[in-house]
Amino acid sequence: MGFFTYDISKYPPAHMVALPIVLLGLSLIFLSFNTLTTGLPVDPGIDFAGGVGVTVFTPDSKEGIEEYFAGFPLLSVGESINDGKYLVFEQLDEEQFRALTARIEERYPDAGIDQIGETFGKTLQSQALLALLFSFAGMSVVVFVAFRTVIPSIAVVLSAFSDIVITAAFMNVLGISLTLGTTAALLMLIGYSVDSDILLTSKLLKRKGKLDEKLEGAFRTGVIMTTTTLTAVAAMFVVSSIGQIIIIRDISVVLLIGLVVDLMNTWMLNSGLLKWYLTASKGGVK
Amino acid sequence: MSNSTLRAVFSDWRVVLMTILVAFSLISIYFVPLSFNQGVTGNLQLGLDLEGGAWIQLGFNSEVVRFDTDRDASSFAADLGGRLDAEVLLVDEDRLEIRKYYTQEELEAAFEEAGGTVVAYERGVSESTADDIKRILEDKINSLGTRDAKVNTLSGMSGVTKYIRIELAGADIATAQDVVGQQGKFEIRIQTSGNATEHVLFGDAITSVSTPSREPGSNLWGVGFTLNDEGAQAFRNAALTYGAVDNPEAHELVMLLDDNIVYSAPLSPNLAGDLRVSTVRSLSASTGVGDEGLKEAKNLEIHLRAGALPVDVFIAGSGYVPAALGEHFKTMSILAGIIALLAVGVVVYYRYREPLIVLPMIGTNIAEIVILLGIARFIQQLDLAAIAGIIAVLGTGIDQLVIITDEVLYEGGIPSPNLYQKRFLRALGIIVVAASTTVIAMLPLALMDLSSLRGFAIVTILGVLIGVFITRPAYGKVIMALLSR
Repeated sequence: MGFFTYDISKYPPAHMVALPIVLLGLSLIFLSFNTLTTGLPVDPGIDFAGGVGVTVFTPDSKEGIEEYFAGFPLLSVGESINDGKYLVFEQLDEEQFRALTARIEERYPDAGIDQIGETFGKTLQSQALLALLFSFAGMSVVVFVAFRTVIPSIAVVLSAFSDIVITAAFMNVLGISLTLGTTAALLMLIGYSVDSDILLTSKLLKRKGKLDEKLEGAFRTGVIMTTTTLTAVAAMFVVSSIGQIIIIRDISVVLLIGLVVDLMNTWMLNSGLLKWYLTASKGGVK
Repeated sequence: MSNSTLRAVFSDWRVVLMTILVAFSLISIYFVPLSFNQGVTGNLQLGLDLEGGAWIQLGFNSEVVRFDTDRDASSFAADLGGRLDAEVLLVDEDRLEIRKYYTQEELEAAFEEAGGTVVAYERGVSESTADDIKRILEDKINSLGTRDAKVNTLSGMSGVTKYIRIELAGADIATAQDVVGQQGKFEIRIQTSGNATEHVLFGDAITSVSTPSREPGSNLWGVGFTLNDEGAQAFRNAALTYGAVDNPEAHELVMLLDDNIVYSAPLSPNLAGDLRVSTVRSLSASTGVGDEGLKEAKNLEIHLRAGALPVDVFIAGSGYVPAALGEHFKTMSILAGIIALLAVGVVVYYRYREPLIVLPMIGTNIAEIVILLGIARFIQQLDLAAIAGIIAVLGTGIDQLVIITDEVLYEGGIPSPNLYQKRFLRALGIIVVAASTTVIAMLPLALMDLSSLRGFAIVTILGVLIGVFITRPAYGKVIMALLSR
């Protein structure tokens, strides 16, 4: 597509991988710092920390809502266009929660409510972590089996890893917490992000022809692939934001970030590593 | 489109299969059974967040412990029960269910004192207890008159049930909370003459209820229960006053739950004799022989507990979506799907500018979604997360169609059939690898019980499989036939 001026065959590998590697390093430092200070790399939402989320459409102001729920541990009031509000309360005991639901019912009978207890949140958290680990390990195995060469496989796995790490760091910066929805998005990213990596690696390793041409061909196809996915996800984001569908909005926001990060990782990090591997292995060091 | 092109398109089995599956899906969503009154979603099973309703998930203040001891297992269990002041049941030879909440450390200490060790500790209940709890809850839900309820137990891989989830379509959150909170009113009355009865005692006089057991040496099932002192006194007085000890058959004891008779039987001769002498605190109500007797006994146990659960529960999570909000989510989801599809259409048109490519592409994508929905109708409830999965499938679907298109039309030209076949297989190779990673990445979620994400994972996996095996290869055939016209 014409408005994109990244001439993939022009840059030497070291230049290509520089930016992604720096970003990956910064993100890792950032996430480690978070883990040290808060115990978790990302801020857990109510699904994992416990709490109550309330979805409501009301023209009431944020202050009005805060005042109405004065006796309850209201953590935040998220506002979107279309009068949608998303309130988050801290963990409550059963009696308080009953009182809260009665209070909500009184003024906002059409509000949706989600409550997760602390123990259940802990269970979900450990399961989510397990799911992430298993997914990642499973993906790595598939990649290694498919390509049966060490360095290209490592390049794919590294770029998927980097997708998740950098996306998680961005989530922190933007204040997006880790919920069931965002965990799903991170998992989906594992699946999505390797699509273009696999296209790239297959084309470069298994085809005959000039490296630069193959790289350009893969790039053309890969960019259009990610663009279509981005478009679908962007549509999902816009509609779910307007419609106040929290779980879909969470999923799409993280996917949007992740896919953009993936464009960088695939076409700079992964391509750079592959290019270096292919030129070095043929003895053609420039 | 000429006849020969049509024939070429439909000569491929995948194209034929895709067409059949689309038809089958549409039929199963809208026609079998007929569902025009249900709007666009037809026969699809919708989750609570789209349909409206309340859910509540309960955890247990109890744990299942795998243990090791040199002592006899049942006496070890009894000993432990005394030490912990809790009901301790032997689940099988080396597992105990402790019906009170203790941390692993506390239990380890108690086990050691009793001469055993804790091998594995898991919070939850055994499967049979979970089934009991499930039945009690279903009973209560029925009595609340809720029309569409589901009670599911969620078990780990070890077979220990960790949670129980109740979904009440169309109910509000207060109703869901009542299912757990409220207890029924249990009463024992005694037959005076004819149909007339007199009050003997209420459920609060019952201090404990045991699980169904057989009378030693017989096949007769029954449920034991214990009365407190006042209850035992009231029971004896009633039996003496109304002459039940002398003529048991004419003065049956009647048990009622919320004023409905749940059990009725005369005093046994033995019990009548004992009551003549003193009060009796330990009673047993026999229910009959064989499987039927056991079933009755289980029901009676529930009734004696007056809907109280054998294990203390806590609310792990709950939620509520009002019908109007569910309807709004539904509209928005459909809108999101349509807009995503249109937007993707615009992007691929911008790239290829050839309706003969873009239309089959979008068509294939729609077919994929329709087949996915048609299959999901039978196996998976669609909730909001599952819808995100569908839109994700739409995204990957287009991705892979782009791979096929670019691969087949490499360097712009339309290849000869041989070359086409070679390139097509190459494209399929890439797609299969890419799809395997997505399936593998989603598999843990589909197998685990991360509540709302299971549907998402299942839908995504299903969509990817349909795409890789049927629709995307079919697309390859279609564009080839169309372009080489």
